Amino acid sequence: MANHLSKNAQKGLGRLGDLILPASGEFPKYSDVAGFQYLDEMVENAPEDDISSLSLVLSILAFMPGFILQWIVSKMEKSQYDPSNGILAVTFRQLNVGIRGLLYSTYYSEKINPNYKGKTPEQLIDFEVKRVAD
Amino acid sequence: MYDFIVIGSGAGGGSLSYYLTKGGAKVLLLEAGKFYRKDTFPRTEAEGSAQLYWGGGIEFDKDARMGFLRTKLVGGSSIVYQCLMDRFDDIALHDWKAESGVNWFTQEDMAPHYEQVESDMALHTFKEDERTRNGQLFANACDKLGYKWSYLRRGQSDCAPEKGNDCTTCLAGCHRDSKQSALVAFVQKAEKLGLEIQTEIEIDRVESHANGVKIFGKKHKNAVTFEGKKVILCGGAFGSTKMMLQSGFKSKLPALGKHFSSHPQFMWFGFQKEIVDAHKGMFQSVASKDPNFRKEGFKLENVFSLPISIAMLFTAYGAQHQQYMKKYRHMQCIEVAVRDENTGTIQVDNKGKLVVTKRLTDQDNARKERGLDAIKKILVASGAEEVYESQMYFGLHLMGGCVMGVDGGKSVVDPEFRVHGEKNLYIVDSSIYPNAPGINPGLTIKSLGNRLANQLLK
Ligand SMILES: Cc1cc2nc3c(=O)[nH]c(=O)nc-3n(C[C@H](O)[C@H](O)[C@H](O)COP(=O)(O)OP(=O)(O)OC[C@H]3O[C@@H](n4cnc5c(N)ncnc54)[C@H](O)[C@@H]3O)c2cc1C
Repeated sequence: MANHLSKNAQKGLGRLGDLILPASGEFPKYSDVAGFQYLDEMVENAPEDDISSLSLVLSILAFMPGFILQWIVSKMEKSQYDPSNGILAVTFRQLNVGIRGLLYSTYYSEKINPNYKGKTPEQLIDFEVKRVAD
Repeated sequence: MYDFIVIGSGAGGGSLSYYLTKGGAKVLLLEAGKFYRKDTFPRTEAEGSAQLYWGGGIEFDKDARMGFLRTKLVGGSSIVYQCLMDRFDDIALHDWKAESGVNWFTQEDMAPHYEQVESDMALHTFKEDERTRNGQLFANACDKLGYKWSYLRRGQSDCAPEKGNDCTTCLAGCHRDSKQSALVAFVQKAEKLGLEIQTEIEIDRVESHANGVKIFGKKHKNAVTFEGKKVILCGGAFGSTKMMLQSGFKSKLPALGKHFSSHPQFMWFGFQKEIVDAHKGMFQSVASKDPNFRKEGFKLENVFSLPISIAMLFTAYGAQHQQYMKKYRHMQCIEVAVRDENTGTIQVDNKGKLVVTKRLTDQDNARKERGLDAIKKILVASGAEEVYESQMYFGLHLMGGCVMGVDGGKSVVDPEFRVHGEKNLYIVDSSIYPNAPGINPGLTIKSLGNRLANQLLK
């Protein structure tokens, strides 16, 4: 079966996303811009059991109270500095990279909601590259 | 039956297949990934990361501290590499010889292979007018601080900078066939000479018999088998080690899965008042060439990347992260690559998943600290208004796991690239590296491919 993030998992990711990429200054919050429709494409080649575990965790987070989400996000943010190699520390580091990878791929990129009307994060950072084929 | 079956089409497998085919042999090249070409490579960073890499983007060590990047497509990691082509120096070859006991790890013995491979690639050494602002800031500050630096040599034929082409776009495959990946330098040429290539075939294990080697794998989850008179594993440090472990060699060869190193890389940033645009043009043109740095076990390069990768390196969340990204065009960036000890291990768990243990040793940490200290001095001397010390680190040069050596108790392949105790099974890729050279590994991997091809064609 192809990798897939359920609707609830996408909702959980959107909630985490709004904490990690909030509305600030000119920047829009994650869920306003996110290209949720591209998420399955982004996880297509990741190991199936990693994605089914991630999908489960995100689905649970969709229904967690906000303060628990805040706590998880602060653990994720500090995880890179945590000297422990215990299972909890490792899990938060894995989440830190896995979740940020999905968020940034559908925020600082073209993989955003096509109906979003404001300045996109790519435009806000003034990013532009030129590809000259033959 | 094929004369030779080569498994894995990266720097090692691409070069070997080309020289074998050119020498008239009947060769089959098997590759786990898909076949992309210049007009089908992904066009965006997000697609490149999701489509081309093993693990769907990045893989991790057991502690989830160090990320590893390797790709799964025809051409292997050379499709996304920067193609900086350096020969090994005396220090690297001396240390290989000392660790492995292999007596041909010398400049004289390696020279013909380097020469052959170099003559089959378009090589370009950057010049002053090709430096980007990121490169200028690096070189000027090195001059101020008395650090030696030099221009890089890159495999490229025609990057069209005069037309405004930005080479960061080739981090997901070069759309001009300019970058000298294994695909451009070897595989496409070998195809024209009759090389047979089968893709999307992941090999699980091999089994030797009297007259050859049987290969077992999967194509889209369906079992497939092949048989060759001689079989050469070129799956890279993770891929070849995994195939060897799954083939049951660990009990005979205790060194299998050991001596893994990866040149851990740390990227730090300086924010300049002016626009740097480190992602534009030929974005990487200079590096440190300081004999003291070499002695101390690290090197510095002026590097950069596209927004998603850069965003990953800024670990702060929230508004602070967005404010850093807002200054994307003002970022100056330098990386330290540590010449690390080969104490890492590669194992496979009972679900068939790779388990990589790679903790930095005291020596690695000391080298890293010295390198980061030099980076900080350069960023400050360049006039950076703020320095960002990223905590994320990763390995792009995955080496070891099936190291070469004379002693079957301490190594996996012998000095003729043959798996100890086997008649027809060989390995040539970065997995055979006895230890970390502290130098870009790609040119030497290709040259070892040339050496093995010459030997097999005799
Ligand atoms: C971003 C990046 C930048 C880099 N820049 C440079 C640089 O500037 N200079 C330099 O010298 N080096 C650079 N490197 C490192 C260089 O790319 C690698 O060291 C080199 O490609 C390794 O060659 P290899 O043949 O060992 O493995 P790879 O090139 O990784 O090839 C292995 C191939 O085997 C295939 N494979 C693996 N397992 C199996 C299996 N079971 N069945 C079938 N196929 C399999 C893989 O899909 C892959 O195609 C860089 C690497 C990265 C990721």
